[in-house]
Amino acid sequence: MSRKDFIRRMRKSKLFIIGLAGILAIALLCFLSPLFAQFNPTKSELSNRLLEPEWFSKGLGGHVFGCDSMGRDVLTRLLIGGRTSLLIAFSVVIITTLIGLVIGLLAGYYGGVMDLMLMRVCDIMMALPTLLLAICVVAVMGASVTNLVVVLSITGWIMVARVVRSTVMTIRNSEYIKAAIVLGIPNYKIIFKEVLPNVVSPVIITATQAFGGMILTEASMSFLGLGVPAPAPSWGAMISDGREYIATAPWVVIVPGIALMLVVLAFNFLGDGLNDIMNPKNKD
Amino acid sequence: MENNKKNALLRTENLKEYFKISGKGYLHAVDNISLEIMPNETLGLVGESGCGKSTVGNTLMRLLKPTNGKIFYKGEDITNPSKKKKLELTKKMQMVFQDPYSSLNPRKTIRSILSEPFLINKAASGIELEEKVNALAKRVGLEEYVLGQFPHELDGGKRQMVGIARALAMNPEFIVCDEPVSALDVSVQATIINLLIDMQKEMKLSYLFISHDLSVVRHISDRVAVMYLGQIVEIAKTDTIFSNTLHPYSVALLSAVPKIQFGQEEERIVLTGDVPSPMNPKPGCRFAPRCWMACEECKNKDQHLAEVEDGHYVACMRWREVREKTAGQAWKKGIEVEHE
Repeated sequence: MSRKDFIRRMRKSKLFIIGLAGILAIALLCFLSPLFAQFNPTKSELSNRLLEPEWFSKGLGGHVFGCDSMGRDVLTRLLIGGRTSLLIAFSVVIITTLIGLVIGLLAGYYGGVMDLMLMRVCDIMMALPTLLLAICVVAVMGASVTNLVVVLSITGWIMVARVVRSTVMTIRNSEYIKAAIVLGIPNYKIIFKEVLPNVVSPVIITATQAFGGMILTEASMSFLGLGVPAPAPSWGAMISDGREYIATAPWVVIVPGIALMLVVLAFNFLGDGLNDIMNPKNKD
Repeated sequence: MENNKKNALLRTENLKEYFKISGKGYLHAVDNISLEIMPNETLGLVGESGCGKSTVGNTLMRLLKPTNGKIFYKGEDITNPSKKKKLELTKKMQMVFQDPYSSLNPRKTIRSILSEPFLINKAASGIELEEKVNALAKRVGLEEYVLGQFPHELDGGKRQMVGIARALAMNPEFIVCDEPVSALDVSVQATIINLLIDMQKEMKLSYLFISHDLSVVRHISDRVAVMYLGQIVEIAKTDTIFSNTLHPYSVALLSAVPKIQFGQEEERIVLTGDVPSPMNPKPGCRFAPRCWMACEECKNKDQHLAEVEDGHYVACMRWREVREKTAGQAWKKGIEVEHE
C-alpha cells in the first residue's frame, strides 16, 4: 500500500479518527496539566474532605470534580495520575513490542529448534500468573513505577511474539524470500529488509490493542497496592481509595472509572481502525 | 556420455532429496537424479504436480540441502560450497519463480527490487546503480515509469518481467525457471517465453525449464526430461521425445496434450488410479501400479535409465513393446507432419 492510499483510508475510517482524536485529547490534557492545574495533587486539605463536585460554578479555579477522602482535588489527581498511567502503559508496550518482535522474528524465520525453544519459553511465561508474579516482585523489590513496568513487560511480550511469529512463518514461505536467498542476501539482511517491513502493520495493530489492556492492568495493580506507591496519584489507586465512600461520595470512584473506560475505548477504536486500514484484504 | 559429463555446465550425480516426516518415514521427493545441462542449452523438466520437479530446481539453487548425491558446476563440486563460493555462485546461477504475485516483496518499489542484486554484490552505487537498473529494465522491455511503482500496481506479465530482470542482473550463466508462465494468462505466456528465448540468445544462457505444460516445454527446450515420482523416466532431444516416445508414462502424458486436428483418429491413454505416495516407496518400477504395460517383473525390478538410442535414455525394460504399440498413433503423426 502506498502512502497516498494509506492516508485516504485513514480519513475514511471513523473508528480510527474517533480513537485517535480521543487519545490525543486525553494525552494532551494529562501531559499539559502541570501548566493549568490549580491544586497540588498530593497535598491534603482536610477541610475539603469529600467535597462535592462544584462543576464549573467557580470556573476552573474550583474543585470541578470534587475532592477525595483526604481533601485532594479529584480533577488534578486524575490528570496527573493519567500521566503516570499513560507513561507506564507506553513504556510497557514499547518494551514488550521490541522483545516480542525479536523473539517472533527469530522463531518464525529460522523455525526448527530455534522455534521450538523460543515457543516453549513462551509457554512457560504464559503459565506464570501476572498478578502472583507482581506480588512476588513487589514483595522483594518494593512498589515502584520501574518495578511495575518490569512485571508487566515480563509477561506482556508473549502475545506480540506469537503474532509476529505466525506472520513471519507465512512470509518465510513466499517466493520473494527464496529470491532473496538465491541472490545471496545474508539472513540478517533478509530479516530486516524483506521480512520486517511486512510485519510492521500487524505489530502496530497488536501494540495499539495491547495499550488499552496495559492501562487496565496497571490500574488493577495500583488498585491492589502493587503499583504506583502512594501518595502519587494513579487511576487504579484512586478507585481503590474511593471504594469505601462509594455510597456517600460516588464521584471519587466514578470520575477515574469513566476516564479509564474512555481511554481504553479510544485505544480499542484506534486498534480496530488501524486493523481496517492496514489489512490489504479490506478493499475500499 | 563421457564427453557430455566433461563439458556440462551443470551436472547432478545421483541427487537425492528426502524429507523426514515424523512418525511416517521419508518422503522421497527426488530420488537418484543424474542429469547434465550443457552450455546454452534448455533442458525441459516435465511431470505432473508433486513429482518433485520444483524440488530439483530448489536443490540445484541450494535452497535445500541435498540428502545425498552431488552437484557439479563446470566440473567443480558445489554440493557444499564455502560462503565465498556461494556468493560467487549466486552471480552465475539464478532463478525465476512460478508466482509473480509472491516473488516480489509487496513493500518495495520495482527499482528497489532490481537494485538488490547490484547492492549485495557491491557492483554499483549512486548514479551508476540507477543507470544500471534502468538498463536492466530496458533489456527485458520494462518501461522506465514502472521502476517507481509497487508490485501490486503491475499486471502478472510485467511482474514476471521484473522477476526475470532480477535474475539477469549479474549476467548469470544458468537459470532455473520454475514454472515461470503457469500463473500467467495465455496471452502473456507467449511474451514471457519469447523474452526468455531472446535473453538466452543474447546472453548465452542455459535454462532448466520446469513446467507441466508440454506445449510450452516443446517450444523452448532443446532436450526434455520426464519425471515421475522423484525419478527421471525418460530423457531425450525434444523432437525425439515427442516423435519417438518410449516410456509408457511419457506416452500417457503426451497423449493427454489437447490438439486441434480434425478427422484424425486419436487414442488417448488414460491412466487409472492415483499417484502412489512418495513416502517410503517400495522397490520395483514406481510407475508399475498405474502402467498400461506393466507385467509382474516390472513390479519387482527397479528400472534404471538406459541409453536405447543415441542420447535417448529410458527407464523401462519394455520400451520396444511400447514403440510397437504406439507406432502410427495420431499424436505421434501430428508431430512428424509438422517436421516435414
